[in-house]
Amino acid sequence: MTDLPPFLVALPLVASVVVLFAGLARSETGWPIATLAGLAQLGLAATLAYRVFTAGPISYVVGGYEAFYGIELVIDGLSASVVVLIAAVSLGVLAYARTAGPRGNPFYATYLLLVGGLTGVAVTGDVFNMYVFIEISGLTAYALVASGDTGRSAVAALKYLIVGTVGASLYLLGVGYAYIGTGTLNMADLSAMLAEVGYQSTLVQTAFAFIAIGLFIKTAVFPLHTWQPEAYAGSPDSVSGFISALVSTTFAYALIRISLSVFTPDFFAAVDLAQTLLIVGAVVSIVAGSLLAVSQTEIKRMLAYSSVSQFGLVLAGLAVLNQTAMIGATVHLLGHAVMKGGLFLAAGVIATATGAREVHEYEGLSERMPYAAGVFAVLAFSMVGVPPTVGFVGKWYIAVGAVEAQLWPLAAIILASTLLTLAYFARLVERMYFREPAAADDHVEGESAEPQPDAVVADGGRPSLGMYAAVLVAAALAVTLGAAVVPFAELLEPTLDLLLS
Amino acid sequence: MTEIYSLRPLAAVLVSAIAVVPILLSGRRPNLRESWTVLAALAKFGIIASMVPGVLSGTVYATRLGTFLPGVEFTLRADPLGLLFALLASLLWIITSFYSMGYMRGLDEHAQTRYFAAFAASVASAVGVAFASNLFVLFVFYELLTVATYPLVTHDETDPARAAGRKYLAYTFGGGVAVFAGAVLVYWLTGGVAFTPGGIADLANADPMIARLAFALLAGGFGVKAALMPLHSWLPDAMVAPTPVSGLLHAVAVVKSGVFGIARVVLDIYGPGLVGELGMGTILAAVAAFTLVVASVIALRQDNLKRRLAFSTVSQLSYIVLGLAVGAVAVGSPGNASAYALVGGLLHIPAHAFMKLTLFFCAGALHVETHTDDISNMAGIGRRMPVTMGAFAVAAAGMAGIPLVAGFVSKYFLLIGSVSAGGTTYAVALLVSGVLNIAYFWPVVYTAFFESPTERDPKPLVEGPLGGRFGAAASKLRSDGGPATERSGSSWDLQSDGGPATEGSGSSSDLRSDGGEPEDGDSEAEQDDHGFAADHEGQGIQDTVEAVEQLDEDHGEDDRLDWEHRRWTGEESTWLMLGPICFAAAGSVVLGIVPDLAVFLRIVRLIVAGATGVTI
Repeated sequence: MTDLPPFLVALPLVASVVVLFAGLARSETGWPIATLAGLAQLGLAATLAYRVFTAGPISYVVGGYEAFYGIELVIDGLSASVVVLIAAVSLGVLAYARTAGPRGNPFYATYLLLVGGLTGVAVTGDVFNMYVFIEISGLTAYALVASGDTGRSAVAALKYLIVGTVGASLYLLGVGYAYIGTGTLNMADLSAMLAEVGYQSTLVQTAFAFIAIGLFIKTAVFPLHTWQPEAYAGSPDSVSGFISALVSTTFAYALIRISLSVFTPDFFAAVDLAQTLLIVGAVVSIVAGSLLAVSQTEIKRMLAYSSVSQFGLVLAGLAVLNQTAMIGATVHLLGHAVMKGGLFLAAGVIATATGAREVHEYEGLSERMPYAAGVFAVLAFSMVGVPPTVGFVGKWYIAVGAVEAQLWPLAAIILASTLLTLAYFARLVERMYFREPAAADDHVEGESAEPQPDAVVADGGRPSLGMYAAVLVAAALAVTLGAAVVPFAELLEPTLDLLLS
Repeated sequence: MTEIYSLRPLAAVLVSAIAVVPILLSGRRPNLRESWTVLAALAKFGIIASMVPGVLSGTVYATRLGTFLPGVEFTLRADPLGLLFALLASLLWIITSFYSMGYMRGLDEHAQTRYFAAFAASVASAVGVAFASNLFVLFVFYELLTVATYPLVTHDETDPARAAGRKYLAYTFGGGVAVFAGAVLVYWLTGGVAFTPGGIADLANADPMIARLAFALLAGGFGVKAALMPLHSWLPDAMVAPTPVSGLLHAVAVVKSGVFGIARVVLDIYGPGLVGELGMGTILAAVAAFTLVVASVIALRQDNLKRRLAFSTVSQLSYIVLGLAVGAVAVGSPGNASAYALVGGLLHIPAHAFMKLTLFFCAGALHVETHTDDISNMAGIGRRMPVTMGAFAVAAAGMAGIPLVAGFVSKYFLLIGSVSAGGTTYAVALLVSGVLNIAYFWPVVYTAFFESPTERDPKPLVEGPLGGRFGAAASKLRSDGGPATERSGSSWDLQSDGGPATEGSGSSSDLRSDGGEPEDGDSEAEQDDHGFAADHEGQGIQDTVEAVEQLDEDHGEDDRLDWEHRRWTGEESTWLMLGPICFAAAGSVVLGIVPDLAVFLRIVRLIVAGATGVTI
């Protein structure tokens, strides 16, 4: 028993308030405090993860109120991985955001609040408590998207707000149905009581449908993704890097958690339709997301649609419902966060230095920015799934899992997703390396004559060391994490055994 | 067979991978940069060659790098089959490095640093493919090879080059996905993907339908790089790359990695016996036989030399695949048919490599020195480039299977194998293809040595319209009113008559400057085309004009136009190019005369003994 779990959530929340009030006394204090809090959070997360992986799951009853009224925090291998990811990525984005902006203490306060909310989603063991944290994360994410200070960010944030709230409300409806059926909100209790009520009960099935669809919206599964491309493309680069890496990831985690811990694989065995829902969502997302990504002209929108497709892959790993595929889903969940966050930040570095935000503006980029172009290419190829990168390993496990479960059409789509991903990244790489910059002068003149109102250009114009460092670390991790997957899978196995039993 | 833990296989892969860094860093000093390439090439060959005696005496060197996936070790193993491919690739990389210097500097190419770096990375991946100890490691390096060679295909940065690059990525990653799917299936069936001489035992007990599906996926996936029809079409387009790339990668390293993959699948995953039992050997043999005949027929009509060589590669690669497939079908036939076919197929890997490298190097030398790329413009060129065309003649003879050159030995084994296995169809296909080989190589040699620009025989096969008389009528209808005769009639006649010479060349250069230049402007117009032609017709008028510029009235008899005469002592070009050409040609002769002395045949025998238990 340890008292650390509540601090995981409390630390960023308290730090957020500190940042806000420190800003009243002195501006420019946001970044140092946020970084300190981030470091502490990472240390805390690593300590807890170490304990979880060596000594098994930790649960903590908040305030000593046992269930049925109290709230329980549960950290097992899966949630510990996500918590470490959140802490690490938020620290990396802080390194980037220092010069890239947005500046000011309110931004850092919101940022920390989001970190707290996401961590809360990851560690809670109570479905209603999870709703609270989903709302905290959602609201702060809307605010961060709007921090771009342009008309485009505001519209994107409004759209995100409306669609995102619908998603959260659907989730809450689902929780309500489950509560009516069972009279409890604790995940562990729910899973037992739902089985007692009977999986064929309409109440239970409706609860699952509402929760799944709500989280589909939050995760941006096609066709419920409509908020996402604008939210990513319209927000400042630091923010799009952060939310693309963490927000959808955490909500996908929430879906996995609810599906496996609350409804359990038995539910899926009893209700074919539920598994079909997941599989169809996965397949449609993979295919449609890639096709939409190919047709984009703006880099960040393309990356956003790529996320739609990649989360389809994660969903596929969940839908297969066996251990191999779940390892794959977890690896891809974490790996995608690193790769996609890195790609958004790399796009930000490139845009800061050259103003290039469109696909055609990347022509001949390798000569102007060899390092940024190189990092972008490495991340792109690892997203495609070129071995031995982490993008490949995740896909391997999911594919092997799908074959083991003999879900042939799903396996075919998973494999074909490599080519679909290649379709939109290869054209970028080709433009960066094998095309002359198409009359670069014209573009510069064009932009200075008619500055794009929507473009969120950081001041400065020269990427800082921190910006480069964040991007380089992401690329290095994308390449090397692949080798760490086997030991990680061994650590994860006890958790998954428990979840899938 | 003893297995020794050694760092040598890893070192062999890494030495050129690490060399990429100093090559990139010394981009501003070409001589330093090239010395890194040469140093890495020599070191790589030294490391690989040092393992040959051990492997021949039954030792296998292995580097273990830990577990990558459950049940799948990331291990590099230098077993006989891997060593065959690695030794070949690293030996030929040395001479290709020298040739590249002569070629790239001779054409004053752009982005040479990227070129040499990508080249080193490609060879590292190719050796990784060779030393892979299981299907998974093989797949890793197979994909890396695709990525590393992509910059070489698109080297020119022109529209055709980018199109070829896109096609290359689409085809080979498509193949990669199929290999991946096949590997997943094998993994699912047997719980492992490690190469085992004679095949993975569990696979024989698995569901035959799924085993067949996995085999089809694997063979089809590797078949993309092995250019099995109908998956070959990326290869002629990839000829847009600089010629050393076409030589080493698109005749040796890349395409052979596909063939090598098929060899691994047949010999070390399924085992020849099981492939035959599943009935997949017959299908594979049929595809290979079809490819080797049809590609030869297509090669007949190519006027552009590099395209003709590309289709020749497509055809010759299928000899290897045919050897493997017949070897699988013939397991259990009398007279060691299976072993003979396997020896023939595998020996064709080095044999074809030496010969085709010679041919590509010759094509590149012709291009650098005379800018002549279409065979129809090569009349009499033997006087200008005697050593080059001499080497070309030797290698071409070997391709056709004429004794004393490498191609004969492998085809001999292949033929014995097919005949004693009762595979008459395959034997006939082999013989027909041999005749076709002569039919498409002899005209090149003939025109180079026995014709002159002013006196040429008609070449109905190349120049005649497709579809014979009816085709001619159709094409007349199409080009009605146009100067059809002027275009097809050679411009030499016009010039030697003294009459409308200026008009002829003037109008053609107009054509070129009007239509030939891309819209982007100067940068692309100055690009070298590396002898690439986009279609079967060759480069046409553009190449004719470039060839005419080389001709001079002072050299022919009676003041007729002719090539400048140069002596056999190497004044035709730089020794940076002639040396590699002579080395490769000599290599193919050595393989043909004393195959047992050349180490390749001994390695091949060892492989076959390991896979079938029969020693020849």
